Amino acid sequence: MHEHEDPLRDLLVILRHAPHGSSWLKEGLDAALVAAAFGQRVSLLFMGEGVTALMPGQGPGALEQKGTAATLEMLEMYDIETLLVDAQALSALGLSADELMLDVDPVSAEALAEALAAHRLVLTF
Amino acid sequence: MLLHVVNRSPANSRVFEQALTAMGPDDVLLLIEDGVQGALPQLVRYYAQIEGRLFALREDLGARGLLGRCAESVQVVDVDGFVTLTEEAERTVSWY
Amino acid sequence: MRYAILLMGAPYSHQASHSALRFARALVARGHCLEAVFFYHDGVHNASRLAAPPQDEPHLVDAWADLSREHGVSLQVCIAAALRRGLLDEREAARHGKEGNSVAAPFELTGLGQLIDLGTRCDRLVTFGP
Repeated sequence: MHEHEDPLRDLLVILRHAPHGSSWLKEGLDAALVAAAFGQRVSLLFMGEGVTALMPGQGPGALEQKGTAATLEMLEMYDIETLLVDAQALSALGLSADELMLDVDPVSAEALAEALAAHRLVLTF
Repeated sequence: MLLHVVNRSPANSRVFEQALTAMGPDDVLLLIEDGVQGALPQLVRYYAQIEGRLFALREDLGARGLLGRCAESVQVVDVDGFVTLTEEAERTVSWY
Repeated sequence: MRYAILLMGAPYSHQASHSALRFARALVARGHCLEAVFFYHDGVHNASRLAAPPQDEPHLVDAWADLSREHGVSLQVCIAAALRRGLLDEREAARHGKEGNSVAAPFELTGLGQLIDLGTRCDRLVTFGP
């Protein structure tokens, strides 16, 4: 479906919201999974409070509803392996990349713009 | 060149910081809805790093009684200008 | 150019719907092809056929339907986001044993894959969030 000689990746999904507080994170992840299931090359970028989606040891919500951690664990199955994290957002929350539940690439502010430019479509959630 | 669209006021929200962080050196930013407050002289300093690349939507300024109160560095465009910006930019990224 | 709009704000709660409609009208007036509007997140409420705003306010649901009829714009509503929020067409209402339905043509319930497809096929995709 995609052209391998094209340097642009297909889709960048920017996730800027924490789990449980709203449906933004879940609905953003759903869009990423569907695109990946369609054979697109998908990257995720966690920004702002969205980095808390990657906290280890998350539990169910107030009504025992599922969070998003289980979905994040499935990303590899969908070949979504490019997981970018805004390094500034991490340090603002006192977190470091090596304590997160998945292997991620911390991205400096300078490199963020390049990440956006490297994708044919950018969706913000 | 990408077009970034911000609809929140810097007086109330830090979404503008996310947009600024993600902007490349040629990217431009359009303020719409409550975001147009960012064009006021007192608030435009938040956008100092993109001076000359900042636009605000005329209709949303007018509806809020803010037309004519914008900082001189802000380029005011109407909705046709908004469309033109989306034509010129390779992609549009919205921050809300 | 071929455009698509992604709308994620609920009508009458945020300006997003008004902004998206104004932008949509400006697009077609300039001769662009607006292929579709995709409604996601709280934007799915734009498809509620039961919306009854006061007569001196813009009727957003009707305005989308008019845009669709006049310019051949497809109105696609994410089915997963819609069902959760009580937006069902006749078929889904029957499937879920509900007495009424709240979504009617020209709005159509569709999968998220359609959004991805629009993003791929159209030259531009513009998002309006709350």
